[in-house]
This record gives sequence, C-alpha cells and structure tokens, in this order.
Amino acid sequence: MLNPFSSRQRARLRAFFSKPANIILVVFFVALCFLTLYPLILLFLETVTVHAGKEMRATKLGAGSLTLYSLERIFATAKNSYSSLTFYEPLMNTMAVAITASMISIIFGGSVAWLITRTNLKFKKFISTVFVFPYIMPAWTLATFWQTFFKNVNVGAGTSNGIMASVFGVYMPEWFVYGYFPISLVIGLHYAPFAYILIGGILRNMDANLEEAATILKTPRWRVMLRITLPIVKPALLSTLLLVFSSAMSAYSVPVFLGSPVRYYVLSTKMMSLINNYPGQGYVIAAVMIIFGVTILAVNQRITGSRKSYTTVTGKSSQISLVNLRKLNVPIAVILTVILLMVAVVPLLTFAMESVIIKAGDYSLSNMTLDFWIGTNLDYLDQGDSTGILLSAKVLKALGFSLLLAITCSVIAGTSGVLVGYGIVKRRGSKLATAVSNLSFFPYLMPSLAFGAIYLAMSTRIPGLQGFVVLALIGSVKYLPFASRSGVNAMLQLSGEIEEAAVIVGVPWYKRMLRILFPIQKSSFLSGYLLPMVSCMRELSLFVLLVPTSNTLLTTMLMQYSEKGWAQFGNAINLLIIVVVLLVNFLVNKLTGASIDKGVGG
Amino acid sequence: MKKFVSLLLALMLVLTSSFAMAESVADLAKAAESMTHDELVEKALAEEGTFIVYGNTSRIVTAAEAFSALYNIPFEGSNLKDAEIYTKLANEIEGKAKGADMVMIQDGASLQSMAIDTGYLVNFVPASVKATVAEGDQNPLIHQFINKVFIWNNKGENVPAITNVWQLTEPQYKGNIVFKAPDAEQVNMNFLVMLTSEEWSGKLAEAYKNLYGKEIELGDCENAGYKWIAEFLGNCVFGNSDTTLAEELSQETAAGKLGLFVLSKLRSSSVYTENLTVGQYLASETGTAIEPFSGFMYPMYAMLSSNASRPYTAMLFIEYLMGADGFHPWGKSIGAYSTNTAIAPLEGDLALDVWKSSLVMEDPEYILDNYEDVYSFVTMYLQ
Repeated sequence: MLNPFSSRQRARLRAFFSKPANIILVVFFVALCFLTLYPLILLFLETVTVHAGKEMRATKLGAGSLTLYSLERIFATAKNSYSSLTFYEPLMNTMAVAITASMISIIFGGSVAWLITRTNLKFKKFISTVFVFPYIMPAWTLATFWQTFFKNVNVGAGTSNGIMASVFGVYMPEWFVYGYFPISLVIGLHYAPFAYILIGGILRNMDANLEEAATILKTPRWRVMLRITLPIVKPALLSTLLLVFSSAMSAYSVPVFLGSPVRYYVLSTKMMSLINNYPGQGYVIAAVMIIFGVTILAVNQRITGSRKSYTTVTGKSSQISLVNLRKLNVPIAVILTVILLMVAVVPLLTFAMESVIIKAGDYSLSNMTLDFWIGTNLDYLDQGDSTGILLSAKVLKALGFSLLLAITCSVIAGTSGVLVGYGIVKRRGSKLATAVSNLSFFPYLMPSLAFGAIYLAMSTRIPGLQGFVVLALIGSVKYLPFASRSGVNAMLQLSGEIEEAAVIVGVPWYKRMLRILFPIQKSSFLSGYLLPMVSCMRELSLFVLLVPTSNTLLTTMLMQYSEKGWAQFGNAINLLIIVVVLLVNFLVNKLTGASIDKGVGG
Repeated sequence: MKKFVSLLLALMLVLTSSFAMAESVADLAKAAESMTHDELVEKALAEEGTFIVYGNTSRIVTAAEAFSALYNIPFEGSNLKDAEIYTKLANEIEGKAKGADMVMIQDGASLQSMAIDTGYLVNFVPASVKATVAEGDQNPLIHQFINKVFIWNNKGENVPAITNVWQLTEPQYKGNIVFKAPDAEQVNMNFLVMLTSEEWSGKLAEAYKNLYGKEIELGDCENAGYKWIAEFLGNCVFGNSDTTLAEELSQETAAGKLGLFVLSKLRSSSVYTENLTVGQYLASETGTAIEPFSGFMYPMYAMLSSNASRPYTAMLFIEYLMGADGFHPWGKSIGAYSTNTAIAPLEGDLALDVWKSSLVMEDPEYILDNYEDVYSFVTMYLQ
C-alpha cells in the first residue's frame, strides 16, 4: 500500500490532531482561505473579464473573454479626463475624507475616553451610555439628519430650506452642508465611539502605577499626560486610527447622502455608479480599495506587534487618583451632553417628525398624518405603498429577514470567535495560530462594499450561493474579527490551569468548553455575539450588492425608498431600524451583561 | 407488419410529444400570437405553480394583484431595479431555477444588450392588440411610454417660461435647473446620448440659429448635441430622485427654477401642483412650441422570460396589461401613455402622438453604439 507518510510522521500527525486546538486552527485556516483568499482571486479575475452588456459593445468581444479594457479605462484613459474623473479624483477625495474622519474620531473619542477614565467629570454614566449610540445606529442616520437640518435654497439642488434656515434663518454655506467637510465630520462622529471604546479600554486596564509614581514625584499633570499616558496609549491610538481609516474609506451611505447633491465622489460611490453599466471597472475600484485594506493590515500588524509589550503590564491598579476638572467640570459636561443630544437624540426626533408630515417643510398640524405608520388605502399619497409600515407585509417580512440574518450571523461569527480564540491562545506563537489570527482579522480591513463585490463575483460562479446563504456567509465572515478578538481576549484572561485540571480527570473537550471555559467568561464571549448582531442589523454596504431584491432587508429597502424619494416611509423605516437595534442592544445587555464596549475593547 | 407500423407510429408520437415538451418559450410565444383570448385563458389555467412577475415600476404589483384575482392564479410580484432584474434573470436562466415568468422594464439599450442579445427575454404580441399598437412599438413590445418634461415653478417674477432649449444654457440659469443625475438613472443618460445623434444635433444647431440668428460655434465639441449637453449640465444641479425634485421644485422657495423630470410626479400628494407649469402644456395652449424638444420619452417594455414556468399565464398577463384594465394602475393619472391606441389619453393630458413629435425618443442601437463616448463626456460635467 502506498503511504506518503512514514510511521513517525503518522504518529506526529496523530499527536497533532489529538489536540482540539490544532483541529480548530486547521479547519479555520482552510475555511478562511476559501472565504477570503479564493474570492479575492475571483475579484482580480473579474477586473480582466468582459461582462454581458455594454462592455461587450465597447470591447467587441464576447462575454467571458479576457481583456485589459476595464484596467485601461480606470487607470489610463486621457480622453475626456475619464480616468482622472472616474478614479484619481475620487481616490484623492476618499483619502481626504478617511484621514480627516479618523483624526476626528481619535481626537473626539480619545478625549472623551480620557475624561471618563481619568477625571471626575460629571454625568459620566449618561455620557458613557449615550456616547456609543452613534456607533450602534446606522451611519447614514447622522448624514440624513445633517441634510434635513442644514439644507437651504443656496446650496445643492437648493429648492427648499431645512430646519436651520426655515426656523432660525441661518443659511449655512455649501461647503458646510455638502461635500468633504460634512462627510468627514459625520463619518468621524460615527466612529468616535469606536475610538472611545478602544482607547478607553487601554486606559482602564493600563497600569496606573507609572502615572501615580510620576504624580508622587510632583510631575505636572500635562507632563504626565505627554510623557507617560500618551506614549502608553500610542500604539492603541495608531491602531485605532488605521481601523477607522479603513472603515471610513469604504463608507458608502454617508457620501451618497452628503456628496451626490454636489457631485462629490469617493471611490465607493463611483464604484456603485459604475457597477451596473461597466461592472469590470467597478471591480477594478473594489480591487484598489482592497489593496489599501491589506496594506493597512500589514502596518497595523507591525504596530500591534509592538503593542503587546505594553499590554503585558496589565492588571488593574487598585487606585488611581482622578484629575479634578474643577471649574471646567460643569461646562465640559454640559457641552458634551449637548453634543451627544444633538448627535444621538435629536436625529431620532427629526425622523419621527419627518415621518408624519405630508408636504415637506410644512409643520402645521393639518399637514400631519400617522398614515405612513399605520394607515391603509394610501394610494392617495402616491408613494408606492398602500399601507403604513407597521401594517405592511413587505416591511414586516423584511424586518423578520433582517433579524433572522442578524441572529444567524451572530451565532456563526460568535461561536467561531470563541473557537478561534481558544485555538489561537492555546497555540500562541505557532505559525498556524498567527496565520489564522491574521486571516480572521483580514475581513475587517476589506471595505464592505468591495467585500460584497467579491462575494457577488463568487456567487455567480458557485450554484446555491444565493439569497440568504450568501448574506449569512458574508455577514459571518465580515464580523468574525469582532468575535475572534473578544474570543482571544477572553481566553487570554483565563489561566491554563483551569482547563488542565479538567484534562487530568479526563473531561472531554466539548464539556470543558461548555461547562468550564464558557461560563467563566460568559459576558466577554457573549459580547462577541452582540456586536455582529448589532452591526448586521444596521449594515447596508456589505449587503447592497448581494440582496435578491431591495425589499429583502430593512436597510436596502430604506435605500430604495430614499432613491425613489418616498421620504416619509423612508424616515419611518429608518426609525424602526434604530429602535430595533437599540432594543436588541439593551435587551442583550440587561439579560446577559454583554455589551458593545466589551466586544470591541482591548 | 401491422404491429410494426403501430409501434413505429407510437414511437413517432412519443418523439414528437417529447419534442413538443422541449419547445422553447420563444416557440410557444410565436405560436400563441394567433391564439384567441379564450384559448390563452384555457392554456394559462392549465398551468401550475406561482406566477412570478418582476418590474421596475411599483404599479406592476397592483396590476398583477388585479390579474390574479380575475383568473384566480396565485402570483408573486416584485418591484426591482433594472440591474437587480438582469442579475436575477441571469442567475435563474443560467441556473435553470424557477423564477420570473414575465418582466416589465425600461431602458431599451440595456434591455437589448443584457436580455435580448442573450436570449433571456422573449417577445410576445397578443393578437388582441396587433392592429392597435404601432408596428414600431411591437418588437420588443412596448407597454407604455413615460415622459420627462421641462416643468417650471410659476411663482415670483422670474418665471422661466422657456421657448428654446438653448435658453437653458444662458448664465441666468446657472444653478437654477434641477435634473436627476444621469449616472443615477439610465434613461436620463440615454436621453443625452440621443442628443448627439445626427438627427438631434442637427435640430439643436437649427434651434440655436433660430434663437440667436447666427450659426453655432462648436469649439471642441463634436456637434451641437455635445455642445448643448456641456452647457446644459453646467447649469444643472443634480438630485437623486424625481419625486424629491418635483416636491422641492413645487415649493414657493423654488421660484425662478426649472426642472426636467417625470411628468407623472405631478400627481403626488406631496407636490404643490398649482405652483408648477408644464412647458409642453403651455406650448400646446399658446401654439408656441419649445424648440426643438420639450423633454424626452422612454418606453416601458413587457416581455416573457425564456425560463417561464407559466408561459401562457405570462402571455395572458401581457394581453391583460395591454388592455384598459391592465393599464389602469398607470393610466389613472397623467404621464403614462399606452401604446394601445384603443386606450385614450387621460383627460387634461396630451395624446401619445403629440408627445412623440415634441420629445426626444430612444433608439437603443444608437445608444449602445455611442454610450461609452457620451458617458465619459457627461462625466466631465457631473463634477
């Protein structure tokens, strides 16, 4: 009998696979290669393939033939400044937005994190609770709010006034209402909680002895801050910066709302406008976005590599003296509270308001109706639907589908996260563990829209990879980084002895996981389930290319309504999504103690 | 010997019947074009399963609902975007999965290149309308035309009552024209492509001469069509939805502004219709037409899927759609025009012929051949 392995090799293999951690790592290594690397290859193939439709006319080739047409159009077509307008300018805009947005996130989120963990600021509980709202809510929430609030007759299409102009008589200039500034600001505010959670986590867990030692030696506060606190959180800061940068780069809904009225294109919006007529060119842009993502991963890897030496200093210091803000305390607290109300609460009230008025801009009682919520026979409105959203079978079906998808993704991603965490920590330092760790983090850096494009390319080649299956698959893979991160963190905190005791008395692996490891770190693990669920409920970019129809998910339905201009139904659905997401977050938090900040926090 | 003949006959019967079973939807449709209404009904009712329709208009679902109630046929209707329809069709047909029986869609150029060249969609003209639908509208079968026309706000002192499209390129209109971004809606791009054709660039050159009394200077532009596109788009601000454009343009705050959008939006309850004037309506009243066009018009096609599992039901539905009852969901308000001349236009609206002669119409072949050039030209003016 032919046997490629010698008996010694066989024995080593058997020994290798007798450890559950190894099996987990091998399984995930193979699965993740298939789910991230294979589709990547397909994507690159799509950039050199002729697609049915206008590409066939342009290239005079049959569908499926190989061509450099799309690459040439995107990178090197001078006629009508095509490449420059379609690619280079949007690329510059994307960079500008992503850099500004990540700076805003870091500065705002970081300052609040410092205020909450290191000072005696008032209203801490309120601020820390509400601060994460913008991250939980869909990104376009703030964008549409910004538009409704600041639009006026002098800017964009310029035909009607928003609240600021009609109520306060203040007409903001165009750069303030549309384009680079508001896009960067809104994305920055959306990801500020992310920075807050990451930096706050470090500050909270950081050994405060160093700071205290300095304080005892009468070092001035600012010096402690500059020489001790900042250097310690610097790797976390940089890492957060890169993560936010990569998310901001692929933001799609915010530039659609705040960029398109003034034709301010970024890569994501350009890609979407190309994908219907010239899919090849759309895929080229997706590929560029991914190359950026991978570069960021590499940079991040170097930084987090050095970060490890800091986090080994963990173990909470018993006491840390909080900075007394004195006279500044109340003003800072009030300003923060007002900002948070503007960012997290007022938009919701605006949506509620906009969902009950018939003619835009007229806030008199006679122009109000609850029909968009609970009406029937609404043909008189001529807005597509004939029943209010709470009675509409279509909306309820989408709500059910969205919830089912969110739960599925959270179960798959969450469970995988626990397993990956176990595998990586048990085999820490091995090549396989490092590879799986990188692969499981990789999807985070894939811009959502581009990742969707990859799976679209894959779904046209693999039968059965359609509808719910492909959505659940991509959701699980995309959110795995959150879950595996909290899985790794939870496992790192567990001493190996706990499991060893059970190993000695011969408790099987699955029992050790279910009876010992999971219960001890329940809330950390569950946080790894919560974040994928919440993210999935409010996700648009990732799914927009893959949904069977726009009516499949609440978020894609919302986008369609907004495109059709059915504003009131749109606002009502938007509010429904936010309420459901907040409710899910609240319930899971109350029932299990899991929370978003634990899921992300380092 | 007798036995042998009967065996042979039986074999032939089996062969022909199995051959008949393999008959394509296209063959069935061809054969059914001479069927009477009753024959179609009989064949349709003999079919099984859910009848599935896709359309890029929300009203297709209303029409399918009424049809389903009439014949007691279970149905599923989806209002999808064009691109979604093509993706789904491709997946269903290549994967031989149950899917659409019938599709209603706009944008003739994409239809040609995505669905007709590929054989995904099949044409069917019901016998009932062969005589009442213009021959040019029969292949592929056009169910209705929809128009996008110049409409302006009639409040204030500077009412933009234009009589020549070149007026729109003048400096006073800078920022005062609203138009849905042509990269956000295909039919808008198709309209711009058509303007570069010999016919329309010629008419535009003539209109220029009529307005300014001199020949047009083209500069870098290839023809008067390109020139007008450049200057018109330069004055435009772009919206994302015709509904929103109509709503906003109808506000008192929009005095002095003009838009080019779907006429049917005037029926919307969120629009202050009284604040808006439709260029072509005014032109028909005063007898002074807008030179050389008062907007554009695009067809909405009704076709069978080559993958239909209820082909006869789909044919019956098309027959239903082409009649007065089937057209009602669209025809009850202005801005939609049945190609069936037996259906009169709505009172207060103009007849299809009048619109056809004053609007820019699509030519799918011309659009496909020139799309790339115009698309990249237009991109320059979308910034």
